[in-house]
Amino acid sequence: MTEVQTILAAERLDKSLGKGAARVHVLRGLDLRVRRGEFLAVMGPSGCGKSTLLHVLGQMTPPDGGRVLFDGRPVANSRAARNELRRRAIGFVFQRFNLIDVLSAADNVRISLRVRGLPADGRAGELFDAMGVAHVAARKPGQMSIGEQQRVAVARAMAHRPAVLLADEPTGNLDSASAEALLALLRRVNRQRRQTIVMITHSEEAAGHADRVVHMRDGRIFDDR
Amino acid sequence: MLLPLANILHHKLRSVLCAFGIGIAVCMLLALSGLARGTLYEVAERWEQVDADWIAYPQFLGEDVTGMAGPVIPDAIAGALRAADGGRLVQRVTPVFMRRMDFAGQPQTVVGVDTEALPTLLGGREIARGRPFDPDGRCAAWLEEQLLAPATDAAEPLVISERDLASRGGLEIVIDSRLAAAGGYELGQTVESADHTWTIVGIVPAGGMARVFLPRRTAQFLLGDGTITKSTALFVKLRPEASARQAVGRLRAAAGPGVGFLEVAQYRRELERRFGILFQYVDAVNAIALVIAFLFVMLTLYTMVLQRTREIAILKSSGASNGFILRQIIAESLLLTGVGAAVGIALGYLAAWGIQTAKPLYTVTITPRWIGIAVAAAAGGAVAAALYPAWRACRVDLLEALTLE
Repeated sequence: MTEVQTILAAERLDKSLGKGAARVHVLRGLDLRVRRGEFLAVMGPSGCGKSTLLHVLGQMTPPDGGRVLFDGRPVANSRAARNELRRRAIGFVFQRFNLIDVLSAADNVRISLRVRGLPADGRAGELFDAMGVAHVAARKPGQMSIGEQQRVAVARAMAHRPAVLLADEPTGNLDSASAEALLALLRRVNRQRRQTIVMITHSEEAAGHADRVVHMRDGRIFDDR
Repeated sequence: MLLPLANILHHKLRSVLCAFGIGIAVCMLLALSGLARGTLYEVAERWEQVDADWIAYPQFLGEDVTGMAGPVIPDAIAGALRAADGGRLVQRVTPVFMRRMDFAGQPQTVVGVDTEALPTLLGGREIARGRPFDPDGRCAAWLEEQLLAPATDAAEPLVISERDLASRGGLEIVIDSRLAAAGGYELGQTVESADHTWTIVGIVPAGGMARVFLPRRTAQFLLGDGTITKSTALFVKLRPEASARQAVGRLRAAAGPGVGFLEVAQYRRELERRFGILFQYVDAVNAIALVIAFLFVMLTLYTMVLQRTREIAILKSSGASNGFILRQIIAESLLLTGVGAAVGIALGYLAAWGIQTAKPLYTVTITPRWIGIAVAAAAGGAVAAALYPAWRACRVDLLEALTLE
């Protein structure tokens, strides 16, 4: 594997959360490489640091030690640099969807584009068609099923065509049918658009959709298949 | 504007209350300022209608020129002024006698003036209905005969009854159309005021120097000290070729000591000087109302920020800069304020209409300048009120807001 093939890499990542006596050392010298266009699943027991890894990879919080490389280049440890990378190259899908309640599905996508300084052209419509949620474009989150909300969340995360899509237990709040549909959607996006996806999951079934699965324990990768 | 507008429309009650709060403050600003300044400047504008250059008044009044009333300046000074510079300086001197009297349930400055000098005070307006008071000067001449003739030892004590005056047209008055509308007065109607019964013989369009005019000799006799030798002020009209500024020295010399001169055009400034404290009071009340309104806006926005940390974190997770978050909060504040200001302007006009309907003699003037001041104050308040909530929004911890529910 060459550096060119690696879109995202973590080198000796260290991260602690909390303060004082409640401080927990979550990531302990973690190394990980994500290849361009691969669908990677990260599994592990609760509290092993999966979500924290995703947040550090996605530049939502800086590491205490080690570094993150994007497209072979280290990400500068400044708020502005992390913000810029998040805006340009990262898309997030959250377990709780995190749609803005007061906006329609289409406007959720539009605001995401505006934040990034991109025109809100017909991209939302195309994505909604691709995600099978065109019929809910004018609805607000409270008027959609949870499956529809998560599909809209995926559409929003992909609207700016991010280099990497980070999904934090995207099926965690879905029933099995909706979860299966969402995973099939992510798989399709990965195959058709060569979209790089890093997905955190507890589910072996969900991980089965990925090209590669890594397991975490105590803040480190211990199994990479 | 997408998100601020959506939030405003989503939280309708909160938005309506917030906008209404701002609206009331803007309405207060417009209505109170409009009332204070409108009523005062309406008086100034009426005085500016007088066809004269200078007002001669007794200097003992000091700074209180605007409150002058009663018999304070000898009529003889009018003759001295007419004769100034061999009669080449002054075209006309119009003595007036002023008093406060109640008409239409409100104190009015009534002006006693000689019948033939009435047009001088009306600024080109003509009596629309009826006729002037004491049209042939019969009553004035009779009073002069009774009161100015040299007394003799054998003379009986002089008794002049109200009937004597009324029968000679001495208790006739001319009122303006606004007072007529406010009091429901009609031509020929009699009105009780200052313990006398007056007959309305003429109605003139509003805008002249006063709302009530009556014969000067009657005013001097009934409303003064019983003599007819003193007036309240003298309006001096210079000849066209005379320079107002250069003439004043010669006028002072002709009038003798104790007589002050004020340009008619300066009367507005005198009113402002005397009643400026009222403006300050009104402006202070308005400022307090605006501050309270914008504290309300700030509290609303602050509460909104606390309630919407997840929304703010979602924006940040998409890479929103602090500037973007700041703009969202300020835009929401400006939108609320814009609606509030529009409501306030509409309420201001409604309040002006209400005040002038309830009190027809009050003038509420809402000018573009004051609308501009209200809108600018509202916009400035909106930005100021949004700054702290926006700063708090920028400090929202992204992970905490997204992961803790």
